[in-house]
Amino acid sequence: MKLDVVHDLQSVYRKLVDSTSRPGLISDLGKEAALLDGENPAGCSRSILLLALTLLDPEVTFKVYGGDAEAFEKEINQLTFAKAVQADKADYLILLKDAGAGSLEHAIEMADPGTFINPHKSATIIAETGIITEGNKLLLSGPGIQTSTGINIELAGNWIEKRNEKNKEYPTGVDLVFVDRNHQLLSLPRTTQITESREVEKEWVM
Amino acid sequence: MNNAYNFAFFDEGSKREIRRATLKAIAIPGYQVPFASREMPIGRGWGTGGLQLTLSLIGKEDVLKVIDQGSDESVNAVSIKKLVKDTTGVQITDHTSQATIIQSRHRIPEVPLRTDQILVLQVPLPEPLRYFEPSEHETKKLHAEKEYSGAWLMLFEQIMKYGSMTTGADHPVMVHGRYVMAPSPIPRFDNPKMDENEALILLGAGREKKIYAVPPYTRIVSLDFEDYPFEGESFHGKCCRLCGSEGVFLDELIDEATGETFYQCNDTSYCCEILNEAEKAGVN
Ligand SMILES: [Zn+2]
Repeated sequence: MKLDVVHDLQSVYRKLVDSTSRPGLISDLGKEAALLDGENPAGCSRSILLLALTLLDPEVTFKVYGGDAEAFEKEINQLTFAKAVQADKADYLILLKDAGAGSLEHAIEMADPGTFINPHKSATIIAETGIITEGNKLLLSGPGIQTSTGINIELAGNWIEKRNEKNKEYPTGVDLVFVDRNHQLLSLPRTTQITESREVEKEWVM
Repeated sequence: MNNAYNFAFFDEGSKREIRRATLKAIAIPGYQVPFASREMPIGRGWGTGGLQLTLSLIGKEDVLKVIDQGSDESVNAVSIKKLVKDTTGVQITDHTSQATIIQSRHRIPEVPLRTDQILVLQVPLPEPLRYFEPSEHETKKLHAEKEYSGAWLMLFEQIMKYGSMTTGADHPVMVHGRYVMAPSPIPRFDNPKMDENEALILLGAGREKKIYAVPPYTRIVSLDFEDYPFEGESFHGKCCRLCGSEGVFLDELIDEATGETFYQCNDTSYCCEILNEAEKAGVN
């Protein structure tokens, strides 16, 4: 590993801070991911591995969906000493790119939303998705966003609906972190409102 | 830089724990996230909460500014800067506009903050409801239930007693319409600067082991009443004796020789910058 666990993970963390405090701001983990060249435990993406190294340690638990989940859990446990547990008990739910259809919805449903007394004891879902770019298919608003901002993300399914359902009783809820294969990172904390834009459809009809 | 220390003083496990708490704090604006506050080689009550945030954030490329009640040169600010510089080698500045991380006690700088800056505020007492509710268990319950009538009652009693809201510093605010939050002992003058600020604001309480956050562009409303609207300290008709600035937070001082009252910018680096600009303009 050419990755410097002090300086390069600090840099990953700051990008996570930037993207979480400004939802819709896409951060590029490409530079740090390149340092993991050759590292590819159990077929997980390098950005996912970077986030695991940044956030996980023996004080937290996690659960992996997709691919050879068991092998990856073993690998992550050996790297970070975090413990793999069932979905509803996990601090971090990690979805690999080959997690089956409906996995994200399942993870959102199972994830611990915390309580009104302790909303910080909620889970964070980290998922590898299709391409993430600036755009106008999803409009985001809420803290960290001046009026509104737009993104495009290649991600099928009814995850937005499931997320709305999960986060309807603020401050409980789950926070989402998405990375794509180009190491672009998007963070959607529970406070971010997502509106699906109908603009694309309208254009098509006309 | 002293290589006997870890970079940024902490071991990586300590940083990770503070970082996880910080990300949760950003996701739940105004909510106090507990964290395992570390012992620091500076005195308690000297901004260990802010310092721990700064150390968990800082990287080699950062430029740090530390201010204590508006001054970059106080003993407190100097000892914090020394610790960070000794363990990271980062560049230190007095200029607000040049800093990427600004750690402050009791003030938000006069120069407006930008999107590429993080303001870290040192907090002695993070719980705005502690004044009337001593139990942590109870205050957590009040926050959970959004039961803030006690906070309003506290302000109302002050109005009854003094005829106005004489809360001085640390006037409570409502964050994103959900949590009542202690903005740290900044003067009321600085409260409006928190509203929809462009920078991320992180608040750290070392002794009380709490981290909380105000993301950029977040609605911050100072608690008040229709009949007694919130007002910052007014310096109407007054200006800084040194640089002539109006509309900034001024310290009231007394000239010992003449006994006359005069005013000076509380934010000393701002005052110097204005003076230097004036000097340059004068030379040209
Ligand atoms: Zn001045």
